[in-house]
Amino acid sequence: MRNMLLIAKREYLEQIRGRAFRMSTVLLPLLIAALLGFSHYMERKANVGERIAIVAEDPTLANEVRQQMLDDKDAQYKVDVVSPASAAQRTELLGQVQSKQLDGILTVDSSNPQKITATFVSLSVADVSAYGGLQNALNRGVINERLISKGLSKADTEALLTKTSIDALQLDEHGNVGKSNGKAIVIKATIMLLVLSIPIMLYGLDMARAIIEEKSSRIFEVMLAVAEPSDLLGGKLLGVGGVGITQIAIWMVGAMAFMGSALAAELLTGDIAIHFTWQEAVFFPVYFALGFALFSTIFSGLAATCETAQDLQKFMWVAIVPLYVSMGLLSAMIKDPNSVWSIAATLCPLTSPYVVIARMGMTTVPLWQVGLSVVLLALTFWGTLWFSSRLYRVGILMYGKRATLPELMRWLRYS
Amino acid sequence: MPVVELTGVTKAYQSKVAVDHLSLSIDAGQMFGLLGPNGAGKTSSIRMMMGITMPDAGRVELFGKPFSRASLDRVGYLPEERGLYKKMKVLDQLVFFGQLHGLTAEEATKRALIWTRRMEIADVLDKKTQELSKGMQQKIQFIATLLHDPGLVVMDEPFSGLDPVNATLLQDALLDLKSQGKAILFSTHRMDQVEKLCDSICLINGGVAVLSGKVREIKSRYKRDRVVVEFEGRDEFLKSDEIAEATNYSGHAEIKLKPNGDSQKLLHLAASMATIYRFELVEPSLEEIFIQTVGGKADA
Repeated sequence: MRNMLLIAKREYLEQIRGRAFRMSTVLLPLLIAALLGFSHYMERKANVGERIAIVAEDPTLANEVRQQMLDDKDAQYKVDVVSPASAAQRTELLGQVQSKQLDGILTVDSSNPQKITATFVSLSVADVSAYGGLQNALNRGVINERLISKGLSKADTEALLTKTSIDALQLDEHGNVGKSNGKAIVIKATIMLLVLSIPIMLYGLDMARAIIEEKSSRIFEVMLAVAEPSDLLGGKLLGVGGVGITQIAIWMVGAMAFMGSALAAELLTGDIAIHFTWQEAVFFPVYFALGFALFSTIFSGLAATCETAQDLQKFMWVAIVPLYVSMGLLSAMIKDPNSVWSIAATLCPLTSPYVVIARMGMTTVPLWQVGLSVVLLALTFWGTLWFSSRLYRVGILMYGKRATLPELMRWLRYS
Repeated sequence: MPVVELTGVTKAYQSKVAVDHLSLSIDAGQMFGLLGPNGAGKTSSIRMMMGITMPDAGRVELFGKPFSRASLDRVGYLPEERGLYKKMKVLDQLVFFGQLHGLTAEEATKRALIWTRRMEIADVLDKKTQELSKGMQQKIQFIATLLHDPGLVVMDEPFSGLDPVNATLLQDALLDLKSQGKAILFSTHRMDQVEKLCDSICLINGGVAVLSGKVREIKSRYKRDRVVVEFEGRDEFLKSDEIAEATNYSGHAEIKLKPNGDSQKLLHLAASMATIYRFELVEPSLEEIFIQTVGGKADA
């Protein structure tokens, strides 16, 4: 145990004193903040101020749709109406779209009053957010015109079409109802996933690379004469894990200081008002520690079978697949945080370190699920440690030998 | 009580037997040479002594007790492939290894300072290992092996890569340790150093001990069939029927006698043709014994 702690201390100090630690501690949160900020900014700015031409045979309808579009203050459309439009005018408008003088042409066909149809032509067919705004304006315009044609006054139709919004409320385990903010939940879940997954991956792979480097520098021969393989592996896990915990602690302190600042109060308002609960603060280090321990143990066992960093690349899928699956499940989780998939991701040890904290931000995760998830994660870690330490014990002394599957099975038998 | 005792130790990897029923014993104050060509089983034997691998059969005893990891605190091991943490500073590295062997940080620091002064590298204590030459790194590894004052020192090719001045520094340090009663095990290809330093040897080939015992006794088992002659005059005596082969370096001749060659007849013949300054019957060197014993497999 003494040697394990000495090895852990050496690993910890070497990493903490390294430039990589200082750089990642400062740059990683900045990078995540910049990415999220940029994405938020782009979303707000997308399709703002676009110039759209409405082409329709019915000028009243065209103007009604135009008015609805102009009423959309967020989109800030500039709208031209060409009604009725000749073939030459239509061709000219298409030319303007091609030369980017116009962003799109909304053509409304009301030849069949029972079934009014519309097309939208633009250079980008994937402009989904533009369709959403246009669809809304078109619907309101058509309904407005129909109601007026039935004899209702303009004021009546406006009153009828007044928007009704839904405020999402969330019920917690104590029966308290609080306001829920979908966008903030998505941002928070993404932050949680990134802040947990990046250090787990970075430190896990860093540890694997260090094992290969130490194997090639033959230092294991010296170390094995003074310490048990389990001390070496355990010391490395503790040391590098301690570095990760230190980094996360620095981030948490930094985040708390930021959340309490006037700048945060100004920035994190409205639909990006993000708050953290005490459960998230408690379980965040737990899931980091267990997730790091699990993945690092897997990587360590695999690294011991490799001769070079290139050899390690063939095992990268072990790191990437659970992360991709977690990211995929995250979007399903946002839609329904209590679905079967969400519960499965919470309990599965390969995804739980990434998704549980994110899920806590979306719903009240039942305590039994959190407890079972932690127990399963810890048990998987112990199982993996048993397996990896055997690979490690033999692998670190095997030079110039390709670790095929039968070879690995033999290694397990030897140890 | 022997410091190291191997009894019938055997180790096989898959179908290859690396060490086959090896027995040897090293006493306190003894310098012991473990010799053999590449792949003979030297490193496998040492790894079993160090508990890095376990024997399939046989017994390893350290300090009179069956092997246990606790006894490794009294062992210093310098493997053939040197291993140091490249980014660690020299003093931190030495203290770390000292602590792993049970020293306190203060004691390890104190001893590291003494040893680095003795090995003439006190000025690099604050440097990272990766900034140092190979020879310097080897000296650091040497100190790390000895810092905890082990009762048994195991060294695999300790002089490789060292210039003659540094090799002498290490050699003197080892002789000091020997005089203090430490048991020292060498594994090397350098027969001249074995001959100069070791009291006993074990020559292994194909995992089997083919020759072992005290250096003097082993050499005495071999007939003195080599003659060194220093002379002035005619050299026709070098064509004598008593001689199997001879090389003349301008008045310094090295002669190998035939199996039944008579050295006294040769001396009379030489004296009749030249003035003889030196006529010495010499025993075969360890290198010759090594080559003779392991035949064409040796690559020393």
